[in-house]
Amino acid sequence: MDNISGSHDELHVHVPWYQQRLLWLVSGSVAIAFCLVLVAMALYASSGSAQLDISRPGYKSVQDKVDSTSFESFPATGDVNKKAIDDFLELYDKQTKRVNSTDAFSGSALTDAALGIAAP
Amino acid sequence: MKSIVTSFVVFMAFVVFALNVPVHAQGSGMTDAHIASIKTNCPLALGTLGRIHVNDAPQFINSNQTYFSIGDKLMAHLNSRLTLNKYDASMLVKTASDFNNALSNYRSVYKSYEEMMSQLVRMDCQRAPVTFYDNVAAAREQRTEVHDAVVRLHELLKQYRDDVKTFRAENLEATNG
Repeated sequence: MDNISGSHDELHVHVPWYQQRLLWLVSGSVAIAFCLVLVAMALYASSGSAQLDISRPGYKSVQDKVDSTSFESFPATGDVNKKAIDDFLELYDKQTKRVNSTDAFSGSALTDAALGIAAP
Repeated sequence: MKSIVTSFVVFMAFVVFALNVPVHAQGSGMTDAHIASIKTNCPLALGTLGRIHVNDAPQFINSNQTYFSIGDKLMAHLNSRLTLNKYDASMLVKTASDFNNALSNYRSVYKSYEEMMSQLVRMDCQRAPVTFYDNVAAAREQRTEVHDAVVRLHELLKQYRDDVKTFRAENLEATNG
């Protein structure tokens, strides 16, 4: 009986907060997780992934404009003859038609007049 | 002691002036009427900029994917096939390499432009109309750089096609007619 109460007393020995292992474990885990999130966000921003991420807030209205059709490739092996090159050119013309417009990102969209901020 | 304080004040004034000059470099010549006009119209301009920004995203995603696939699944595959068949494909390899470099440049300039636009659409244009105007000018310049990158990619697409036709004429039409 004495042994039991003695063990019970040991469990309640006061330990300063800075010696609490659980506290250090939790705060250390949170700090490590925070650092990893910072690294991940830095990579997300610096790698250009952010520009390809259409799931960001505000982009829902244009999600259906992203082309999901597959791209037909040219076989990397096989004979080289006139027909193979003609087939390549046919495929090449078909695929380059997807990006035919050279007007993309024309500066005219951001002129002062277009934005209504030209000098009066 | 007094001279040290005076020197410090002069130095700080110089630093503040030096930091402010580039920010308002373009807007410094603006009239009060122009600034007032920007304050009035900028909410509308912000709406337009927001729409342009959002619509640019799928345009970039689609074109970036297509340019990459053209380089990776067409140009690289043909170059590999020609090399495997012991043909001299150095001209085509050079154009394909230039195309890949141009694609990297396109991604890089678009990233800068997109970051500028993201910053621009979040601006309080009525509080800082001159900075807003200068940032619009900077965004316009960066958009032009993106446009130039697209034009360069199209030049290289055309050049690669011409190179393939030249290769066909020089190596195949005489033998396979």
